[in-house]
Amino acid sequence: MKTLNLRKLVSSLTLVALATGSVLIGSACTTKRADSGNTLNLVSTAKIKGIDPAHADDLYSGLEVGRVFEGLLQYSYLKRPYVLEPLLAESMPEMGADGKTYTIHLKKGVLFQDDKAFKATQGKGREMTAEDVVFTFKRLADPKLSSAGWWLIDGKIVGINEWHDAATKAGKADYAAAVEGLKVIDPHTVQIKLNQHSFQFLYTLAMPQAGIVPHEAVELYGDEFLNHPVGTGPFKLEDFNPASKISYVRNPTYRKEVFPSEGEAGDKEAGLLADAGKPLPFADRVVVQIITETQPQWLNFLQGKLDVSPIPKDNFAQAIVGQELSPELKAKNMKLHKMAQIEVTHTTFNMADPIVGKNRLLRQAISTAFDQTAYNETFYNGRAIEAQGPIPPGLAGYDPSFKNPYRQFNLAKAKELMSKAGYPEGKGLPVLEYLTLADSTSRQGTEFFERALAPLGIKLKVSTFSWPEFNAALKNKKGQMWSFAWGADYPDAENFLQLFYSKNMSPGPNDSNYSNPEFDRMYEKSLTMKDSPERTALYQSMVKVLVEDCPWIFDAHRLAFTLTQPWIKNYKPHDLDHGRSKYLRIDGSLKK
Amino acid sequence: MSTASATTADLKPMPQGRSLMSDALARLKKDRLAILCTAIIVIYALIALAAQFGLIATPWDVVVGKAYQPPSFDSLPLCLGTDIFGRSVFYKVIHGTRIAMSVGLVASLISIPIGVFLGAIAGYFGGWIDELVVWFYTTLSSIPNIMLLVAITFALGKGLTAIYFALGSTAWIGLARVIRGEFIKHKNRDYVIAADSLGATHASRIFKHILPNVSHFVIINLSLQFVSAIKSEVILSFLGLGVQGQPSWGVMIDDAKLELSRGVWWQLAGATIGMFFVVLAFNILGDSLRDALDPKIK
Repeated sequence: MKTLNLRKLVSSLTLVALATGSVLIGSACTTKRADSGNTLNLVSTAKIKGIDPAHADDLYSGLEVGRVFEGLLQYSYLKRPYVLEPLLAESMPEMGADGKTYTIHLKKGVLFQDDKAFKATQGKGREMTAEDVVFTFKRLADPKLSSAGWWLIDGKIVGINEWHDAATKAGKADYAAAVEGLKVIDPHTVQIKLNQHSFQFLYTLAMPQAGIVPHEAVELYGDEFLNHPVGTGPFKLEDFNPASKISYVRNPTYRKEVFPSEGEAGDKEAGLLADAGKPLPFADRVVVQIITETQPQWLNFLQGKLDVSPIPKDNFAQAIVGQELSPELKAKNMKLHKMAQIEVTHTTFNMADPIVGKNRLLRQAISTAFDQTAYNETFYNGRAIEAQGPIPPGLAGYDPSFKNPYRQFNLAKAKELMSKAGYPEGKGLPVLEYLTLADSTSRQGTEFFERALAPLGIKLKVSTFSWPEFNAALKNKKGQMWSFAWGADYPDAENFLQLFYSKNMSPGPNDSNYSNPEFDRMYEKSLTMKDSPERTALYQSMVKVLVEDCPWIFDAHRLAFTLTQPWIKNYKPHDLDHGRSKYLRIDGSLKK
Repeated sequence: MSTASATTADLKPMPQGRSLMSDALARLKKDRLAILCTAIIVIYALIALAAQFGLIATPWDVVVGKAYQPPSFDSLPLCLGTDIFGRSVFYKVIHGTRIAMSVGLVASLISIPIGVFLGAIAGYFGGWIDELVVWFYTTLSSIPNIMLLVAITFALGKGLTAIYFALGSTAWIGLARVIRGEFIKHKNRDYVIAADSLGATHASRIFKHILPNVSHFVIINLSLQFVSAIKSEVILSFLGLGVQGQPSWGVMIDDAKLELSRGVWWQLAGATIGMFFVVLAFNILGDSLRDALDPKIK
């Protein structure tokens, strides 16, 4: 899932939070809004384009989608390593004898949130059925939406590509037309047939893009569904202001879900099982403030207006002494959570570009001139591992002993590569366009990059965007270079390698538009293999191809340092954080 | 204008008449504060020129110490500490001066001719030309200034040229209003009618006869516009729309926004002090100029 590169040290998990409800809600809304204190105050560090699973391809939209929508599966909140468990499914999908067919039994009595879209029931949410699952997957394949979830099922479900192609040809998708691989067995059973066995498909069912949507709301709101989400989730959208604030209230018709009673060793001691068996969600309201600058986030957190916060680079010394919380914050009973994230930050080269995309030596030169050690020190307070390839530590395929020859900072070598690339000292090279975000930290990061390239004689033209605009620019293959990060969608290196698969090019997740038949062949082969030393070896040889071709500058794998307020209970960091606000409990007695 | 003393038919020789400018200059000379402000502005201008030609504080973008080194007296570059990349904040302030002064100058040079020209033809000709010009500047001024600047810089792309143009093309409205009013007042005065009867063309009446008589407004306006251009540049750079790859005061303050929490105050201090004196000097000088030049305040 796409995340910002620079902004935070805690990308995946980080909800930050703001505002003790009542202050911000204002006097106009006095009815029933008296803050019970049971409001979760979170923050999104990027603007949100909307709350629709089909468009939830970036971390920040995914988090918002996860509050309203639910998929068939989810990750266990407490267990590590990450394991899938049923969410809307009654049990884990059963695989048929052919190894390609999944039969999924759905939970009974799961209601969609009340909404005026449900005309037949006068606005009461109806039960979610197997038809909705089929509709949801067809919707991801609807060419009109150019959905962010298409790459997940493209070529995977039997008949889905035919359906997609027919819809492209007709100019309109026919939802009544059947897809062979999506079969309703009975209202509570759905069968999904894959073209070939896939070890990753179940992960797909737990991703925000696969949140189940009701056709009534999609039909009623059309393009506006982004702003009128209707799902089965624990929270209902109350108010959505894309520039400043999103608020949710507890979904009154939410089914009985309970806090897990099993975790990993140490969870009990950490008090994470104290709420086992209690109904979810705990919070009555969730207020997500959109604050893109780090300082206001941090100051609001210190004032207790945010419940969860990462530590901005400029506040690191204030927050952390040695490896532990500073005495000042300890005295406030704040809690520090550390986690090595399954993610990689990178500087992407647009391989569709006639200059940087066609000159491998130029890319290698730039990669070699970029001093990651200094960068990590300046921007991550050293809280990051220098990346040598796309696969982060913690996944099979990561090789701690491997050193990328173009990631060992060496200016002399970089200059030599520049000469070989045909641009000695940058002569003859036009100014390159670099895309970045508009906040201050991104500007500093850009300045670092400009300084790194200056000795090679490379000049940059910088274009700045907001997060949604930035994503839109990439989807249109604009720009020559940009800084980016990818957080795991699921715990398998395949999720990082698919970023280079030619069929996933923009608007798919392969935003570098990299295409290499040799890589594609190995990638396709790896899909049919189960987790084994052979597959790991194949992953490593794929990484070697990427290292030579250098479609990215592999930057860093960051460590997440997250702080929570003393009144926040049950917080446990997780790489796949969507749909997890339901577990957080606010201990009102600790909150003044 | 000379005084009415000549009407008293005396035999004494007529006192030497003084032009508006020399009169104003004489009065300015007596104003110590104005002299001081002029001196400050001259110093800023000299610093800016010296930095422009690489005579001082060059190169500014080299690493002179560790990141965020506090101010020390070890060497000149370190006297205001270092920034995130270990560059000298003092040098950045000096080059910020260069940017600010150049923005002030160029923006004023763009906006003043526009303002004078449009104000002059509107006031002089009246009629539909007047209506058109008034409509144009009223419409333009109804758009909040900062929004307009943001829109223009977005359209032109980032960088100094865009800033010059954005500020230059928006800052002329005040001047145009004043000049228009003055032209309406002057166009029926005796000396203009006299020029007309002697066969002076419109252009000659506008630029040769009336304009010199209202030119003091241009001078006053210049000093005020200089300040507002400097301030706008800082604001735009702070908002991330301004100068790129160059040490602007606005960018330094934007950096400081993040750094203050780690106790790094010297970028903010440097940029603020740099800005403070030049803005104050221009403001005071602008006031003094008005006092000295406006015949009505005599």
